[in-house]
Amino acid sequence: MSTPASDPLSKPLASSLSKPRRKPFRFPWLPAYATGYLVFLYLPVLLLPLFSFNDGTIVAFPMKGFTLKWYAQLGGQDTLLQAMANSLIVGAVTALTATSLGLFAARAYVRYRFKGRELSEGLVMLPLVIPGIIVASSMLVLFISLGLKPSLTTVILGHVFVALPFAVSIMKSAFDDFDQSLEEAAFDLGESVIGTFRRVTLPIVAPGIAASLLVTFTVSFDEFVLAFFLSGNQPTLPVYIWSQIRFPAKLPNTLALGSLLLLASVLLLLTAEYFRRRSAKSAK
Amino acid sequence: MTSQNIIEISGVEKRFGTFTAVKDLNLELKEGEFFSLLGPSGCGKTTALRMIAGFQDHDAGSIRIAGRDMADIPANRRPANMVFQSYAIFPHLNVGDNVAFGLRKLRLGKAEMQDRVAEALEMVELGGLESRKADELSGGQRQRVALARALVMRPKVLLLDEPLSALDKNLREAMQLEMRRLQQKLGITFVMVTHDQYEAMTMSDRIGVMFAGKLEQVDRPEVLYARPCNRRVASFIGGMNFLQARVTGENGRTVDVDLQGFGPLTIDVNPNALARSADLLAGIRPEQLEIGAARPEGYDACLQGTVSDIAFYGESVHYYVRAEGVEAPVSVAVPNYFHTVDHKRGDQVWLGVQNASVIDLGAREA
Repeated sequence: MSTPASDPLSKPLASSLSKPRRKPFRFPWLPAYATGYLVFLYLPVLLLPLFSFNDGTIVAFPMKGFTLKWYAQLGGQDTLLQAMANSLIVGAVTALTATSLGLFAARAYVRYRFKGRELSEGLVMLPLVIPGIIVASSMLVLFISLGLKPSLTTVILGHVFVALPFAVSIMKSAFDDFDQSLEEAAFDLGESVIGTFRRVTLPIVAPGIAASLLVTFTVSFDEFVLAFFLSGNQPTLPVYIWSQIRFPAKLPNTLALGSLLLLASVLLLLTAEYFRRRSAKSAK
Repeated sequence: MTSQNIIEISGVEKRFGTFTAVKDLNLELKEGEFFSLLGPSGCGKTTALRMIAGFQDHDAGSIRIAGRDMADIPANRRPANMVFQSYAIFPHLNVGDNVAFGLRKLRLGKAEMQDRVAEALEMVELGGLESRKADELSGGQRQRVALARALVMRPKVLLLDEPLSALDKNLREAMQLEMRRLQQKLGITFVMVTHDQYEAMTMSDRIGVMFAGKLEQVDRPEVLYARPCNRRVASFIGGMNFLQARVTGENGRTVDVDLQGFGPLTIDVNPNALARSADLLAGIRPEQLEIGAARPEGYDACLQGTVSDIAFYGESVHYYVRAEGVEAPVSVAVPNYFHTVDHKRGDQVWLGVQNASVIDLGAREA
């Protein structure tokens, strides 16, 4: 057994690592800047759960006392529950549609070289940089001129549009490390094209699919602008919350609801990240 | 070895856009033969293999396996299985499920399936490792699983795409012998693509040498080494000194030549030579030259020169000798019998050669 310290070869390396020849240029204010940055980013988000436990309707310090009643009241509000159900439906359908489309698009982008590949890839990614308000208003005009009334269906169409870039880029990274000869090997061993997809392609990119489902669901669940324009009289949760903010008495309820959503979003994204890492590992 | 043809390829051509990857490929492989396609990268050998496997269709000609034309038969219905260069072990399946992958389609009983998987793993000396995960395998084990997964299908032809190139040198040499032994035991036709001349020579019954999409020579390794068909093949397999030879007399099966630097010799006419010209190109293998401080006795022709470089290979020492009237230094390989290096750079030395060691390579420009 040779420990790094007793290994004669490692000594010069170790000493050269611990004693850099040139000191890096130092920024003494950097930690303060970083702390300030993070506080600015997350303080408002942390205030939300804090005031959701406040026994009073006015959101201001000093706080009055601890209560769980705002959370307890959430259960009895039918319009809220309906909005929640709307959001879940929209999120689930959006996630399934965007991920299926993303799966096939990503496989084509990674596997094949065809005319117009780069152009079409650029167009698929475009919704990431188009302002939501422009997409929303132009979609509303389009749908109305097509005779489609604002409803959950139109929200889903809008959400698939904005969620697709996420699905495509996640699925592309799942396919990037996917050795093409795996599919050829399955076909060579007598499997059909569809059987190859089912027995080899799908299981190997499954973690990527899970990550894409979770991310696109979250994108849809949190989306406000498109839903506001396209939902008509079937509000999704963010649209409902926005409508409640006008009534001060309802504000603590909204804070409680927001806190729950925050918690759910964080959990979803952590799960998605877990699957994304697993997909990067398993495709090797 | 039976004399039945298992693969018959005639006039096969493959183009990618304006680039012709494989030109007029004609090849007949016998049942139970170990055949290697040898060539530099980009010569079309992998394309040829993929056309046999069915991953690539051909633009002209025909490919027949076991008497059947393969034109309309996709890869999943051909009696050939492939071992991929990357091995393509399914990462989500364990060793047993990897090997059983193709058997699932055959609708075998559970017991028979298990027996065949166990037998295949036994064959590649991985017996009992069915439940090992794919990511717990070493490079050599992955190679064996890939072999077992293809062999378990009992193919008529096993196709191998650079099967050993991912392994380190010692393991590669051990696997060469082992695969050769396995092939002889099973009697299945192996078609291997490789760029490694030693791998091709140690394992194959016959080798086909490809350059720029053209199959230039197909022969047993010994013949390929002793009677290459032109300069390209001669220089791709083993070392070779190329010398100009002026023809002074023809005697049917032999020819009298005046060999550059060495002088008059009588050498065999090479029946494999692809092209002929009035004078010819001659080749001498480095290990077939004698080197000494004095003019060696009993050789048909000699040459005096100066040692310009020495390369020590361990099992042999290579001397590079510059001589008047010869442009490139002549290389001589001497087996390292006594752990001595007998000549120094700048030494005056004599080289000796026998008639039989001089190879007629046909036309000078080829």
